[in-house]
Amino acid sequence: MVAVAARAPRVTGRPVALGVLGLAVFALALEVGPRAGLVPIRYAPPTSQILVTLGEQVGRSAFWVALLDTLRTWAEGLLIAVVAGIVVGVLLGSVPFLRAATATTVEFLRPIPSVALIPLVIVLYGPTIRSTLVLVVYAAFWQVLIQVMHGVADVDPVARDTARSYGLGAWARIRYVVWPTALPYVVTGVRLATSVALILTITGQLVIGSPGLGKEIDNAQQSDAVRVVYALILVTGLLGVLANLATRFVERRVLAWHPAIRREEVTPA
Amino acid sequence: MRRTFVALLAAAAVLATAACGDSSDGASDPAPGQPDKVNAGVIAILDVAPIYLGKQQGFFSERDIDLTLTTAQGGAAIVPAVLSGEYQFGFSNSISLLLATSQNAGLKVVCNGNNSTGVDGQDFAGLFVKADSPIQSPKDLAGRTVAANTLKNIVDTSVRASVKKDGGDPAAVKFVELPFPQQVAALDAGQVDAIFVVEPFQQAAVDAGARKIASSYVDTAPDLTVAMYFTSTKLLGENPDLVARFTEAMKESLAYADAHSDEVRDVIGTYTQIAPEVRAKMTLPKWPTEINTASVDALAEAAVADGLLTRKPDVAGLLP
Repeated sequence: MVAVAARAPRVTGRPVALGVLGLAVFALALEVGPRAGLVPIRYAPPTSQILVTLGEQVGRSAFWVALLDTLRTWAEGLLIAVVAGIVVGVLLGSVPFLRAATATTVEFLRPIPSVALIPLVIVLYGPTIRSTLVLVVYAAFWQVLIQVMHGVADVDPVARDTARSYGLGAWARIRYVVWPTALPYVVTGVRLATSVALILTITGQLVIGSPGLGKEIDNAQQSDAVRVVYALILVTGLLGVLANLATRFVERRVLAWHPAIRREEVTPA
Repeated sequence: MRRTFVALLAAAAVLATAACGDSSDGASDPAPGQPDKVNAGVIAILDVAPIYLGKQQGFFSERDIDLTLTTAQGGAAIVPAVLSGEYQFGFSNSISLLLATSQNAGLKVVCNGNNSTGVDGQDFAGLFVKADSPIQSPKDLAGRTVAANTLKNIVDTSVRASVKKDGGDPAAVKFVELPFPQQVAALDAGQVDAIFVVEPFQQAAVDAGARKIASSYVDTAPDLTVAMYFTSTKLLGENPDLVARFTEAMKESLAYADAHSDEVRDVIGTYTQIAPEVRAKMTLPKWPTEINTASVDALAEAAVADGLLTRKPDVAGLLP
């Protein structure tokens, strides 16, 4: 039901080269399109201009402050969501009574889009980092929670009963039986939550005006600086790529013992 | 591996607590001998250049004010933040302040913000149509659609003033809400018949070949006070000395900005992303130190005539 640690591509020369080639073709299309007049150059600047503008932005201290604010909001939101998701998920997953009592509520709250809370957080906290943090936590929490609950439900009944008959306490059972089973699910949940948290971080800054890259994008738009808008969007895209690489790396480290990962590790070099 | 994870959990918990605990610390009760920490909410537009310039020149620090400027996306977000005490001072356009006053919001203007240049055809904002549009003057806008960045605010009030002055029927003009960055493109595409833009979008409109048919802020009232700095009546009651010092520093900043337009163009580059070549040629507002009371009164009357307000607000009570 849940993709456990989706297979990472084998890193050989060819796929990487192909990936770079694809990116180059994409960049070229965005360079040629505006210059050939296919799209208005004023609203869709060519790649080369965007890159030059990005170079100028990197020299601004405001850019780095915004980048740090974005990373901070993102990381804090993600950590809160992951910790809360794991704790609540294990609790709800292991106590049938609690799970039954909360199932309807969870299914009611989970589909509410985080952005729908924007009017609420603006009234509560104004254009602050905390407002955006609420959105990030709300969106990322469910990703983790649902995965953890599935993971806990996946525990082998024989293993669970064996642990119980050997007299393991609740904590020991969670640690030695539930946790290893749930871990691949947790990692998947964290990976999903990471990208969702980034999306909500930028959205919150853009819409609420809390400090960060999203707010800088808005500022650039209000300054009629179209190229800057594109350059900053490029940065947010790069953040997403880096986040994906990082979570994949962590996934392989944390689940090194897991069959799904181990299979690849034995591929002859 | 498990130990690492437990450590990570602990770190997360600490971070989470820290995140929840960092409240926005406002002004009030500094240690003796320390400058007052003041947070002011502004909008990242050229109108507020004087406060940035004044901060740079030390006009605030020499009056024991440690000024932090925070940009919000509009006056609508600043008014509640000043009322809640998150900002001690704020910047907002005159109509928004009149609307807030009519709801007894507890605001008090402390200083002038910025004014139109008062010169028709050479203001920092303007009403534009396409080059080949049949619309020749504001009265031709009857039955036409005009883009305004915010409805029921200073833009539609001013555009109606232009139409009225030109002998047209202001009630026959239709307005549609469209953010400034989208207006030039919307005019080009024929989605609207006219747009009202401020700098730097006025330069974009000129570059796109649009034709200026009115300087609506000029038509609204002579030397119109477009926006003002304000505080809450609560802060004014608790710390009149701080408000007086802020007002003094602000007036010095306005006078300095009005006399040093090159420095103004430079400082605008520090808090906006407006390109240097656009900054060099755009029209700047005027920054008189004193509020043009008659123009605010005219705005209040226009707001009543246009149906934004049912009753004229207490202008004298709002202004210092």
